[in-house]
Amino acid sequence: MFIGAIGCEPLQLRRVHLENSRWLDVYRRNGGYEAIKKVLDTMSPDDVINEMKKSALRGRGGAGFPTGMKWSFVPKDSPKAKYVVCNADESEPGTFKDRYLMERDPHMLIEGILIAAYALGAKTNYIYTRGEYKYLIDIMDVALDEARAAGLLGNKILGSDFSCEIYTHTGAGAYICGEETALLSSLEGMRGHPRMKPPFPAISGLYASPTVVNNVETLTAVPDIIKMGGEAYQKLGTEKSGGTKLWAVSGHVNQPGVYELPMGYDDMEKFIMEDCGGIANGKQLKAVIPGGSSVYIMRADQIIGKDVRMDYEGLVAGGSMVGSGGFIVMDETVDIFESTKNLTEFYKHESCGWCTPCREGTDWLVKIFKRIENGGGRPEDAQLLLDICDNIEGKSFCPLGDAAAWPIQSAVKRFPEDFEKHLVNNSRGESKHKGELL
Amino acid sequence: MSTELVKVTINAKDFQVPKGARLIDVCRENQFDIPSFCYYADLALQASCRMCLVRIEKMPKLQTSCTIICTDGMVVTTQSEEIEKARRSMLEFLLANHPLDCPVCDRGGECELQELTFDWGNLEERFIEQKNARAEKYLSPMVANDPQRCILCKRCTRVCDEWMGEDAIEAGNRGANTVIGTYGGWLNCSQCGNCIEVCPTGTLLDGTYRHQARPWELTQTISTCTYCSDGCQMSLGSRGDELMRIVARDRYVNGLNGEFLCIKGRFGHPFVNHEERIRTPLIRYQKGGRLVPATWDEAIRFTAQKLDGIVAARGNNSLAVVGSPRLTNEALYCLRKFAAEVVETENYAVADAFSLKPFFESLGGPLATHQDIRHAKTIVLIGGEPEELQPLTAKQIRQAVRNGGAKLILINSVPIRLREQAAQFIHIRPGTENAAALALAGNADDALAARKMGVEAAELEILRQTISETQGDVVLMFGGELSAEAQAVVAQMPYTFAGEGRRILLHPLALFNNSVGALDLDVNGKSVSDLLDAAGVSIHAMYMAGSLLPEHMPKCGLSKLDFLVVQELFETETTAFADVVFPAASFAEIDGTFTNNDGFVQRVRKSIEPVHQSKPDWLIVSELAKELGVDFGFERSASAVFREIAERIPAYADLRYPLLKDESHPLQVKHAIASKRELAKEIAGIRRAVAELSDDGVKVSETPQVGHELFKLGTLTDKVPQFHLLAAGNPTPASFAISPLYQITIDEGIKREKAVA
Ligand SMILES: Cc1cc2nc3c(=O)[nH]c(=O)nc-3n(C[C@H](O)[C@H](O)[C@H](O)COP(=O)(O)O)c2cc1C
Ligand code: SF4
Ligand code: FES
Repeated sequence: MFIGAIGCEPLQLRRVHLENSRWLDVYRRNGGYEAIKKVLDTMSPDDVINEMKKSALRGRGGAGFPTGMKWSFVPKDSPKAKYVVCNADESEPGTFKDRYLMERDPHMLIEGILIAAYALGAKTNYIYTRGEYKYLIDIMDVALDEARAAGLLGNKILGSDFSCEIYTHTGAGAYICGEETALLSSLEGMRGHPRMKPPFPAISGLYASPTVVNNVETLTAVPDIIKMGGEAYQKLGTEKSGGTKLWAVSGHVNQPGVYELPMGYDDMEKFIMEDCGGIANGKQLKAVIPGGSSVYIMRADQIIGKDVRMDYEGLVAGGSMVGSGGFIVMDETVDIFESTKNLTEFYKHESCGWCTPCREGTDWLVKIFKRIENGGGRPEDAQLLLDICDNIEGKSFCPLGDAAAWPIQSAVKRFPEDFEKHLVNNSRGESKHKGELL
Repeated sequence: MSTELVKVTINAKDFQVPKGARLIDVCRENQFDIPSFCYYADLALQASCRMCLVRIEKMPKLQTSCTIICTDGMVVTTQSEEIEKARRSMLEFLLANHPLDCPVCDRGGECELQELTFDWGNLEERFIEQKNARAEKYLSPMVANDPQRCILCKRCTRVCDEWMGEDAIEAGNRGANTVIGTYGGWLNCSQCGNCIEVCPTGTLLDGTYRHQARPWELTQTISTCTYCSDGCQMSLGSRGDELMRIVARDRYVNGLNGEFLCIKGRFGHPFVNHEERIRTPLIRYQKGGRLVPATWDEAIRFTAQKLDGIVAARGNNSLAVVGSPRLTNEALYCLRKFAAEVVETENYAVADAFSLKPFFESLGGPLATHQDIRHAKTIVLIGGEPEELQPLTAKQIRQAVRNGGAKLILINSVPIRLREQAAQFIHIRPGTENAAALALAGNADDALAARKMGVEAAELEILRQTISETQGDVVLMFGGELSAEAQAVVAQMPYTFAGEGRRILLHPLALFNNSVGALDLDVNGKSVSDLLDAAGVSIHAMYMAGSLLPEHMPKCGLSKLDFLVVQELFETETTAFADVVFPAASFAEIDGTFTNNDGFVQRVRKSIEPVHQSKPDWLIVSELAKELGVDFGFERSASAVFREIAERIPAYADLRYPLLKDESHPLQVKHAIASKRELAKEIAGIRRAVAELSDDGVKVSETPQVGHELFKLGTLTDKVPQFHLLAAGNPTPASFAISPLYQITIDEGIKREKAVA
């Protein structure tokens, strides 16, 4: 498995290969906690937010919201406590970058949170991980203890007037708790249901107080932005998507791993075929889900020879999204009907049950997939699947509903042959509709 | 809501609406139909059913109109192909796993899901898969549950939490497996049944009425509850001569309580058709003999002769007339009239648990309505336990705090459940409630009051300060603990605390459905215990409508009477002493009015014919009067009685039945407001009494059990088998599939525990 940078100097992954990279002294010897020192010595909170804006860093959790702007939404004059919450739920299928960052460079995350807390005036901050990441919590707790002992956390950090604390918290194993408002409900000890937006967390988040929720990778980018300056960081990537991005590559490539690429990396075909070592076992590329399970699946012919740039705009132009950067590569042996069924079962399992379309829609979709798989497919089922997705999309309470619909919509439309073969070669042997399903 | 108006355009028509108005409400008020399941006024927003989708210009997706606050210039479309498809698809989703067997569902005929489906029609069933099945079960003796019919609108869990503060039901599991469930399987709560009421489908069901009738067979009659002084409006569902159920469903009734009822209002009615109802008049011809059935003519004649004889021999005042705070104003008025005009006795009393007479005599400001309580800014509650005794008031307090940001100040010797909502809890020693009146009156006695109450003087200072700094309404409430002097002081508080932008409203926590009415009509009545003490001494006969309360029984002196007449529904400890018993009709069988603790006069309406040979109390009194030579002239019409009340009792002036017909606009009695007066005498009296209290009473630190009053078996609730299970601690049955009534036999011994209401 490969962990490293391609096309740029490693930034986020700079220290992961060092021996004992998790320990404080290694982190400090390699430039750690210089950014927070710089912030405390020379920068005002507004300065920090300005640098963040200049960096053109977009949130790495999936939605890609500009981080500097998000921070600037927190009302400065609010008398309420403010919170920074690190979203380390990393529950999007195909995504496994945050875990490397926390496992191998936990202090980078702590430093990022400290800087965010300083910029926003937060005294209490949380790292929320998925239940399955218990071992990461242990690692983070050790690192937090180290930082505390070294005066980097707690009262009067580095002798300044700035004090703050960071606590860890685990969920109980629910995808929805990666959605920021459900995460906050869960953190408050309630059922992990999403909350209504507006009010957005920046205005009324944890305990109804101004809160910034950021992904791990977003926060770990912060120390470098401070050290090199927002502008320099932005220049690593493109004008609208600054910096570098981690891609968690899995599936049928010769060299899966966590790849750090500059934003705007050119292009996806080269990335798969050369950087990732090409398709395993001499097979052909069939499909890629580039940004975690919730984004549109891409056909090989949308990639090969299509010069798909790897950043927010490039992927949208190419027919998908950056999402969480969970890059799933599938070869010709994969039946997209089966893989889509698998994902749909995931969404059904993870639907929180709050709203009608997602709860009932995903349940129904899975039932249809199972029926088809068991030979009960009907030609009209392709249309039915699309129509159900259309009835979910844009109508659910939170984006999980959309996330369940998009993979199916794109799979049925882009891989009709994989559906057709299940629908017309069913147990009733219907075949007259071949080629006319959509 | 502010008075500022904003312009919204709905379906190309312009409307001026108050700033802050909610789009779904605005649409509906203007006759644009918006379907909804999860939206419920004054509950936390849920936005989960997604039925209320509309298109708003400049917004990317369809929006849920239940979450949208109108802003100026908003342009809304509520009808289009896109919207219709979205709404129909939500209904399709909801029906996917919902059984389509309405004919066997208890909610069939009044189910919101069924209604919408039929209204829209033209539904193609595309869902051909297996439905998720779940077994029917009981959650408690009162609540049955058919989980597969649930559409997860969560009205039930929200009313349980927000109205009741109980949080006894919650969603469990996740996604399509989500079910509404209890903690630990068996529902241990106050069994209000509000979850049943607000359920739009047949998921939560009345376990006592289940499979007994179809809603379309029932005649709905709007009436007033016969239990506590809150006076909830309800719909009595009767079939033929049988009262089948009681609901507050807003399709039938829209009173001050909305869809709220408590366990007693909702489930406490089976006494009406109970087999132990007294069927005919009964006469005990000889002391020590048995009560034997008689005809009405015979019983009336026999009674008249006896009363005549005793009055002739021993004087008018040897006869006492005693009413009950459960009776209608009409019945109480006739009793009073009987005492004054037929036998001309001075001895008339109402057998209430405590008298609010001193309060009403000093009343210095208006009574708070339940609506006022909901919107109050500060609520001070001295003593009492409305959660158990006036549940609607408790709900209004809770919502005022939780939804309206009101401050609740609790002065109680017990940390009652409302403590969870209290901004300040002044935890006093038992029996020192009167000291709170001293503290309200001023700081002169703070040292004494604080010492006796066992609190810091500063707490009393904060109490006064909070009241006098409030902008908006302050509601002062008190329970039965206050002495006559303390009641008078509290009643005068509007003169002390009212100010610019601040009203002081009063809310006495009377105990019974017509405690307030009984007082209004009782011009110069006596105390019932004085009359009972005089039994066999100066009083030799009594005429009672309703029984005495359990606390009156031990030294009631009834055995010393020469003659006792009682009007009752059931044979009770009181009728055991009676020489004649008249079968009285229950609230479900009569027309009349009750006056609640808001001072609202509300209609009681006849839902079924009087059972067996029973008659309305007022009519029995009139017939007896006639036999004694005085014709009241009311014929058989309760409205004629009420007309005379309105003519003779100033507070009821100008009221008439037709004016009381709309339960959504109840009318308040015009209680005379006493002018501001010197309270030195009362304060000195309270001071003296407080000074005599001990300094070391022990405060109760435990919150009382839910239901410790509600589940007590009184004459009426004793007739409801489910109440016996609750009174015995609501034991968990072996199987949830079968009604616990068929599984658990309750020891008769618990039945006779002392009951209050
Ligand atoms: C269903 C769902 C699941 C999500 N899961 C995650 C997650 O596991 N980790 C994460 O960082 N963001 C997740 N998000 C995105 C968060 O809601 C939020 O946008 C993000 O944490 C913001 O951080 P960022 O601005 O740094 O990207 C999820 C969103 C949805 C709708
Ligand atoms: S779309 Fe609805 S049911 Fe699905 S996870 Fe979001 S709120 Fe829950
Ligand atoms: S009524 Fe608006 S979502 Fe249910």
